[in-house]
Amino acid sequence: MLFKLAFRNIFRHFTRTFLTFLAIAIGLMFMIIMDSMLTGIDQESFDRIINYETGHIKIFDRGYREDEENLPLDKAIEEPGAIIDKLEKDPDVAGVTSRINFRIMLSDGVDQYPAVGIAIDPADDESVFLLRKSIDKGVFFIGNEEAMLLGEGLAEDFGVGVGDYLTVLTRTKYDTYQALDLRIKGILRTEDPKIDWAAVVIPLGLGQESLDMGKGVTEIDIKLKDPTKTKQFRDKLAKEITGVEVATWQDLAEDVMAIAEAKRGGTFVMLFGIFLVALIGMTNTILLAVFERVKEIGMMAAMGMKRKQIVRLFMLEGAMIGLMGSIAGCLMAILLNIPFVKYGLNWGMYMRDMGDIGYRVTGVSRGVWNINMFVGAFIFGIVVSALTSFYPAWVASRMEPTEALKRV
Amino acid sequence: MAIAMMENVVKHYKIGKVEVPALRGISLSIEEGDFASIAGPSGSGKTTMLNLFGCLDKPSGGRVYLNERDVSKFSSNKLADIRNHNLGFIFQTFNLIPVLTAFENVEFPLILLKKGKPKERKESVMNMLTQVGIGELAKRKPSEMSGGQQQRVAIARALVKGPKVVLADEPTANLDSVTGEGILKLMKEMNQRTKTTFIFSTHDPMVMGYARRLIRVHDGKIQSDERM
Repeated sequence: MLFKLAFRNIFRHFTRTFLTFLAIAIGLMFMIIMDSMLTGIDQESFDRIINYETGHIKIFDRGYREDEENLPLDKAIEEPGAIIDKLEKDPDVAGVTSRINFRIMLSDGVDQYPAVGIAIDPADDESVFLLRKSIDKGVFFIGNEEAMLLGEGLAEDFGVGVGDYLTVLTRTKYDTYQALDLRIKGILRTEDPKIDWAAVVIPLGLGQESLDMGKGVTEIDIKLKDPTKTKQFRDKLAKEITGVEVATWQDLAEDVMAIAEAKRGGTFVMLFGIFLVALIGMTNTILLAVFERVKEIGMMAAMGMKRKQIVRLFMLEGAMIGLMGSIAGCLMAILLNIPFVKYGLNWGMYMRDMGDIGYRVTGVSRGVWNINMFVGAFIFGIVVSALTSFYPAWVASRMEPTEALKRV
Repeated sequence: MAIAMMENVVKHYKIGKVEVPALRGISLSIEEGDFASIAGPSGSGKTTMLNLFGCLDKPSGGRVYLNERDVSKFSSNKLADIRNHNLGFIFQTFNLIPVLTAFENVEFPLILLKKGKPKERKESVMNMLTQVGIGELAKRKPSEMSGGQQQRVAIARALVKGPKVVLADEPTANLDSVTGEGILKLMKEMNQRTKTTFIFSTHDPMVMGYARRLIRVHDGKIQSDERM
């Protein structure tokens, strides 16, 4: 009977109930959609970090990471061959390659921009990374050649294309200046801003030669067969290989993950603020219902209805509005999320202006279907609606029947 | 046998910083099966007496007994239980739940009491609605009924759980005289048929004429108590 009564009561003032339910539905819809987009951006960012920057595991020379920001060439793995051979035999390893990262200035003779040079091994880079598949124009390296692959953002900045030449200015391992005039062999479009907006890729042989690195590399990159075992594999390698530092992609993307988490937290605080307004609407709706039905509450109390039953009745009314709002919010979120998942949102025009904000997104990013969020938001909507109805319900339950019955 | 009793009951209300006396030492015994009217002008204390007999309020002094139990000091939860099990109420403004049908309104106290299975409840409710003459209106909501029909639903609601005492605060005040008489006849008929004790307040001489016992109160004191 309480359910029947609560259900009918919420339709006494259809417009008021509808507006409250709509506010909850819209609040929940925004929470779900925002989560979908943020989770999508996070996942894409992490995928791009793995696929273009870190692999699953990286090995550095000991002490490299202390000075990682400066990409020091003097802290290189001098003889990577033995380590790579060992890793290639490991059954958990899907691919191994090595790279040199170095600071450069890129110039066309008129303008110059700072960038990051990445010397890759054309023979096995694709066993770990996806650069080869990300050539938008031109072609990938065929062995060691005097050429470069350029991020599409840098190509746009310089107004250059495949076949044009740019000058790479850098310093060797021994800090002497080096200048290389290199032909652009391909334009990279990875949607990772660290590559597209700031990277010049050259063959490893050319890098080792021009940077006086001998056989040295600054990192060995590993792709695992089972990506969930990064931490175990890192710990295993740290024990087996001495004189090096081993880091998982999570270790290396720690800052990015923290930024993403902070942004997510901030966004949810803001969204909770929006939702709070909806909940204040809920409290208001139930409170109005209480004040309109004072005499009825007095009558029910006179008939022997206990305080807890009166509290339950009004909280049930709140929960029912919350239930309807949650259902509608989830349905609206499903409908809105379909195009977000299928087509995504193009952030391109904002991302470049915003600079490096941690996310590895330069263009379209897609939402995801996060079932946990749908279930969580659904339950949250009902529970919080019921809880926010507690105060007016409590007010109703504290009314003295004699006083309540006197009301006109 | 006394079903309800007051023993030297005093009641005062605090309005701001001023204490206003409502009852000044009332002693009264209501017998089982009585059809008693508490009559008096506005502010004489009749509603306060009904509230105390109805366990809706507690006395400031003295004792109130219901079914030989002193209910003066009971907690609000215990009083709710007493009301639930032993008392029925009829209000001046009917106070039906507008979103429920006549049937559901009458069923409501049985559900609160958790009395009977759905089938038995349905039989009791329909039987009571038929007894008060509105069996055919069971599916109507209060807004679809006249004042007299609504008060009949209220009477059915008060009686359906078989209470010891039914308390009615000016039950005909919101009805025209013909309908009001009809309601009083029904109350009297139900009193005779079910042997339920009725205590009702009024200041209307026509209503007083239906009472078998007339208790006149004035300024919080019993002025007269006569059997008709």
